[in-house]
Order: sequence, then structure tokens, then C-alpha cells
Amino acid sequence: MQEIRLQDIEDRPGPYCMSFGYGLEPLIRSIKAVGLMNSPLLRENLGGALHVIAGYRRIHALKSLGYQEVLCRVLPESQITPLEGLLFSFYDNLATRKLNDVEKGMVLRRLSQCLPEDQILEEYMPLLNLPSHRTTLFLYIELEARLEDEIKLDLARGNLALRAARMLLEMDSRTRWSVFRILSNLTLNVNQQLQFIDYVVDIAKIEKKGVTELLHEPVLVELCTGEGINRPQRTKAVLNFLRSRRLPTLKEAERRFHETVNRLKLPQGVSISASPFFEASQYRLQVLFENGEELRRKIVRLAETEGLLALGDPWREKA
Amino acid sequence: MTGKIPPLKEVIVEKGAQGDAFARSILDRLTWLPVRRAPSGETELDVNGLGAGKKILYLLPYRGQFLKPCPGTKEYICCGYQILNVGTNCPLDCSYCILQAYFNLPYLRIFVNLEEEIGHILNRIDAHPEKIFRIGTGEFTDSLALDEITRWTDLLIPLFSARKNVILELKTKTDQIERVLDSNYRKRIVVSWSLNSPYIAAHEEHKAAGLRARLQAARQCQSEGFVLGFHFDPLIFHRGWRDGYLRTLELMDKYLDPKRIIWISLGAFRYMPALKWVIRKRHPATCVLDGEFVAGLDGKMRYFKPIRLEMYAFMKENLDKWNHDLGLYLCMESDEVWRKTLGWSPNNTEGCRRYLDGRVLRFFG
Repeated sequence: MQEIRLQDIEDRPGPYCMSFGYGLEPLIRSIKAVGLMNSPLLRENLGGALHVIAGYRRIHALKSLGYQEVLCRVLPESQITPLEGLLFSFYDNLATRKLNDVEKGMVLRRLSQCLPEDQILEEYMPLLNLPSHRTTLFLYIELEARLEDEIKLDLARGNLALRAARMLLEMDSRTRWSVFRILSNLTLNVNQQLQFIDYVVDIAKIEKKGVTELLHEPVLVELCTGEGINRPQRTKAVLNFLRSRRLPTLKEAERRFHETVNRLKLPQGVSISASPFFEASQYRLQVLFENGEELRRKIVRLAETEGLLALGDPWREKA
Repeated sequence: MTGKIPPLKEVIVEKGAQGDAFARSILDRLTWLPVRRAPSGETELDVNGLGAGKKILYLLPYRGQFLKPCPGTKEYICCGYQILNVGTNCPLDCSYCILQAYFNLPYLRIFVNLEEEIGHILNRIDAHPEKIFRIGTGEFTDSLALDEITRWTDLLIPLFSARKNVILELKTKTDQIERVLDSNYRKRIVVSWSLNSPYIAAHEEHKAAGLRARLQAARQCQSEGFVLGFHFDPLIFHRGWRDGYLRTLELMDKYLDPKRIIWISLGAFRYMPALKWVIRKRHPATCVLDGEFVAGLDGKMRYFKPIRLEMYAFMKENLDKWNHDLGLYLCMESDEVWRKTLGWSPNNTEGCRRYLDGRVLRFFG
């Protein structure tokens, strides 16, 4: 064990680091309360540089608390190979916490530099709770290697869905950034993130323009930044706008159907709905009632409703 | 594809296929290609390996059921077809191909134990003389694209042609009909082509024979006594689709006698959601994803219903002008869509099966 000056330890994520997107607060509270319980493990190379094998976050926490020195276990590079260091860090992390998707990518990328692919697939993917598929392995490595730090941060924190990140990976960095900026400014759940990306990619392709060009259209910029409405309202408006543009026939059919139903002036507690996308052939009538008398009254009123015969395929109705 | 043997780079022989007579006969026809032995279990490739996989022939024994019903869903009417699974993937590279979704096994997989297993399949067929088996090999691969290598037709045509309760449909987008024409059998063999508009055939059906070449091959088969089938599947909604499909119908009229066509199927493009990003990645210029797709009752993406209705009604109207008795049917559509476009419905899968079995009886007795 040696007392090491914190400034002598490599600050950037080194070859053994598998920490990303973490919050230091809990660790800082713990160190403040009871001090550092476990010493970091460092590897010293021949040139004297010190790389953190275990304790990367602890060192960051100590630095932010203003510590100058820390008691570390230091191994010279002759005593520990890079692979041993990496595996030490891997199992140390695995035993104490759950890794986020970016961290899994860090692990796999580093392992892929030291171990054959088949071994990673068979031994290490299951330990990370990932399927042993090459496609998955490449995806995680690519995510970690190619995504910008801000995007990775959202992925690590669970704000960006893995599938959405995969779609972003398919884009050039300028396009990816313009999509991500909007994604992070709206309140989108996983399905909505995928839907948003899908819509903009489709529309850009159909209209033969770039995704960035599409996203810079004044109407979309206004919807995304709209003043006077809150974030969920903005989100809804943006998705509605994109949906109308991507699925104009469907949107028009929905509009006509709602208009037709609204014109019927159905009794209170009576509603008519269509199946999703009108794919099923039938509509659904729902009647809420408290007793037989009320049901009879509503059925009679319904039978006398003018315009019932206008109900049918909304795409056949005149606009 | 018009060359007899597709451009291959390598043959891989899986452990279980080594020493197999069928595998040996294939290797004898490909003596110029490097051959690699492999243990059981295929190497998975990612989506980038799909194109490369189409140049590698992978010989292996198939351990599943060779004869399986077409995987229809209860929400839509299925034709009750049986798939004879002789191999998977194909050297053609249609942008819309569903097989791309199975991208982790991208090689041209040939099941070498077909010859051993065919006896069991025939026993199953013979055990049900009251039932008509409509069997095809063109669901998971092209029936003829690899025929010069595999000689599947040499094996299958005589066996199926000899039976009264079965037809074998050889479905293709090629003009590789030489071996079929060389056979002495015509009964209970349907040679069928997937057709599309000239634009889609030229821009989306990469490495397939041109539309005219397909129809010339069809004419030759027809003139030599074969019954023909056609499949407008997938119908693609694209700019100028009406004129395009009309042009294809004009070519059919020019080359073919409609009276010797057992059936023509129509199926609007549909796809599993997972296929979309594979298509986008592999075929960035494609137009097949441009239409208005919504989730169908079976979870697959399909054109919004009025678009399908319009396309089917258009095809029906114009096919009717050519001939009223073409055995038109819809692939995986609802009773409602059948009624609104073809003017009648078989009501359910069983009804559709009976309708097509009736066509078999009419053409082959």
C-alpha cells in the first residue's frame, strides 16, 4: 500500500475503466461520513504513469472533496498483465453494481482488444445479461466507440432507449446530433422515441431531403420550441405533426371518422370507436347505463339518431 | 439472374453433411470452388455479412420438419399451402425480401438430407389420399435459382408428378427452366413466377431475371405443356404503380395463354417490424418502405387498408379484362378485403384451401 498524490493518477478513463454516467453524490456522502473504506488499485507502467484498475469513481469523489492523497494498492506492470487488470476491474464492478448500456459497451470494447470474439460471446456476454450474438456484441462496441458523450450520457441514464440509440448510430454524426437535440428537448417514452426517429427518417427519404433539413423546417422548429405550452404538449404536437405528414391517408380517415361520429350527437355515455388503423372490419359501440330503463332509453334514442347510415369506411365519404 | 450457376465464392460443408452423397454430388458440380469443412452450428453474421453470405453455399443436414404448413395467422385468410423446406436464402437480392430478417444465418443453405427424408414426406402424403397437398419449394428460397447446382427438380418432379393428391409448385424470379423442361413430367407440376411492375422488377428485385425474360421463360414452359401460376406478391405502392402493373399485364397478355394459368395471387407488401431497419441499411435507395404502413392484426406492418383495397381492386379489374377465370386469390388478407376487392370471400382459411384445391382438380383431375 502506498500513499499516492491524487494529481499523479491518470484522470481520464483509462484502459480498465468501465464507469460512465454515474453520479458521485452517494459516494461523496459515504466518504464524508465514514471515510474511504476500500483502497483503489492502480497499475504503474514502466514510464511511471498510474492507471486506475479499480476505484475510478472513488478517486473522482476524493478529488471533488479536495483530498490531496489517497492510500492505494499499486502493482507494477510486471506483476499484472493488461488482461488481468481488465478482468479484475470487470469482476470488481460486476460484483458490486449493475452496469449501464454504455458501461457494457466499454467492457466489451476493452475485452475485444484482448480476447477472441468467441470467448467474449460465450463467457462474458451472459455475465452482462446480454444474448451471445455477434450482432449484439458489435452494437454495444459501436455504441461506446461512436456515439457522442452527451448521447451516451442519456443512454446511460436511461433517458434514451437502447433501440433509439441503435437507430441514431445508423446516421452520420451531424444528422444524429440534430435528431438527438430534439429528442432530448421533448418528453418521449421509449415507443415515442422510436416513432419519432422512424417518422423523420421516413419523411426525409420520401420527400428526398436530409433529416437535418427536415428538422430545421420553420414549422417543426416552432412546434419543438413552442412557447406557451408545456413539454408534454409540445411532444404531442410534434408527434401529431409528423404522423400527419407520414400517414396522410390514415390521418384524413381518422378526421372524417371523428367528424361523422361527432355529427351523430350520440346520447351521453354512448360512444362509437374504430379498431386501430381501421384494420378490423367492424366498429365498436359502447353504452354506459345504470339500469335497464336507462339502457332502453339510450337504445331507442340511438335507433332514432339521424346520420347513422353515414357510418362506414371513412375513406369513401366525401370530404 | 440469367447465368446458370450464381457467382459463388466458397462452399462450406457442415460436419453432418460431410460424406453425404447429395453433398458430394453438389461438390462435383462446383469443382472450381474452395471447400471448407465446418463443425455443426453455423457462424452467425451480422447484417453487413448478408451480401457476402449470398456467395457462400452452405451444405448441412436439416433437423426440422421438411414439410410444414405456411405460417399463416388466424387474423387473415391463408391459402393452406405446404412448404417443402429444401433450403433457405437465395442468390437473388430483392430489397423487400423477408429472409433478410433472418440475417444471422445468411448463407445459401442447402439441406443435403432431403433425398433421405423425401420418403417420409411421400408417406405422409400417401397416407391422406382424400386430401390435396399443394406444396411449394419457393417460400424460403427461389425454387429454380440454385437448381443447376442442387438438381432439386430432378429429384422432386418425378416423385410428385406420379401422385394424384399433390401438386408441386416451383416458384421463381429467374428464367432457369432448362432442367424443368428437360424432365419428362408435366402432370401436377405448376411452374410459377413472382411478377411485379417493370419499375419494381428493375429497381428492387436485384439479380432476378428481367420481367420480359421471366415471361418468355413462362411462355416456353406453357408451350411445353406446363401449367403456370403467377404471384403479384408483394404488390408495391410506388409512383406510377397503376401504369406499371398495367404494363406487366400487357406483357402477360402478349406472352401467355390465360387458360393454362391455375392461379394468380395478389399480396400487398407486408413486413415484420424488425425487417425495416435491415432494408434501410442494405437498400438505402429503396422505395418499398415509402407507402403508408400501419400495424396489422398480426403485428406485421401493412399498407393502410384503403390503399390495399385500391391496389387489389385495380389488379382484379384489369386481370378480369384479360380473362375471368384466372384463379385470383389474396394472400393473407381479411374476409372484408376479399369481399370488397374480389367481390366474394372464401370466409376463412378452410374455404380458401377448398377454392384452390378445386383449381387443382380442374387442371389436373
